[in-house]
Amino acid sequence: MFKDLNPILHSQLRLAVVSLLITVREAEFTYLREKTNATAGNLSVQINKLKEAGYIDVIKSFKDNYPQTICKITPQGVQAFEEYVKDLQAYLNIKK
Amino acid sequence: MENNTEQESTLTREQSLQLITSMISKAKNEFFDTGVSALLWGSVITFCALVTFANCWLNWPALQYVWFLTIAAVVPQVVIGIREGRERRYKSHEGDLIGGIWIAFSISIFIFSYVASTYSFSQATSVYLILYSIPTFAIGIGRRFKPMIIGGIACWILAILSTFAHFPYEMLYLAAGSQLAWFIPGLILRKCYLQAKRKHV
Repeated sequence: MFKDLNPILHSQLRLAVVSLLITVREAEFTYLREKTNATAGNLSVQINKLKEAGYIDVIKSFKDNYPQTICKITPQGVQAFEEYVKDLQAYLNIKK
Repeated sequence: MENNTEQESTLTREQSLQLITSMISKAKNEFFDTGVSALLWGSVITFCALVTFANCWLNWPALQYVWFLTIAAVVPQVVIGIREGRERRYKSHEGDLIGGIWIAFSISIFIFSYVASTYSFSQATSVYLILYSIPTFAIGIGRRFKPMIIGGIACWILAILSTFAHFPYEMLYLAAGSQLAWFIPGLILRKCYLQAKRKHV
């Protein structure tokens, strides 16, 4: 009856990261870590999964001689997020 | 979210929706305007307008060139822009839009200044005040920041009132406009920024 939710997005940390990246165009790894309160290791793993799914782009560079990781949502990621929210809304509306 | 792997499997649809809402609001509540640019331009325009006003009685030839300060103020503005950009850990759609509005405003002001000085445009002060109101009001509405909305409306009122004033008294309207549109909102933004910064420390 209900469409299954996208398993890539239906995870707490991955969903948090994508929700943040939907609001801001691109963000540094440290910003995402601060907002999600996740550990660097866990966040790194989840970001990799989102990258493999093509939902985000990860750009690695240097800023003031320190490595910097910037995450950016892709059009595919935006579409997946919109579909995920639509599926959630359909489920919650029917439940009401 | 530390033990994320355990929580992943138990995330309900309601929790998902809650998480999305909370993350979006967290990102939206991030305060990034330091207010320095607004303070800079509010001070420079007020200073230039008041000096021009006072020079009607002082008659110092050098003070005729006081408006060149606005060109000099572009240098600290660029430095502030670069520094703030480096400190910011994210780029937002809102930031791009606001940046675009200020760039369009700056270009319009410089073109109008050239046209007004070349063809000795009358009531230039009213046009300047109208131009000041556009980015101030638009950004105030976009950010739901009342001081800028009030500043924008005040500039429109001052633009109408300034049509009844003659030089140098119209300079007082210009000074009032820059105070209401930029300096006062800048002070409020600065206060909010410092408060938010203190909370994060």
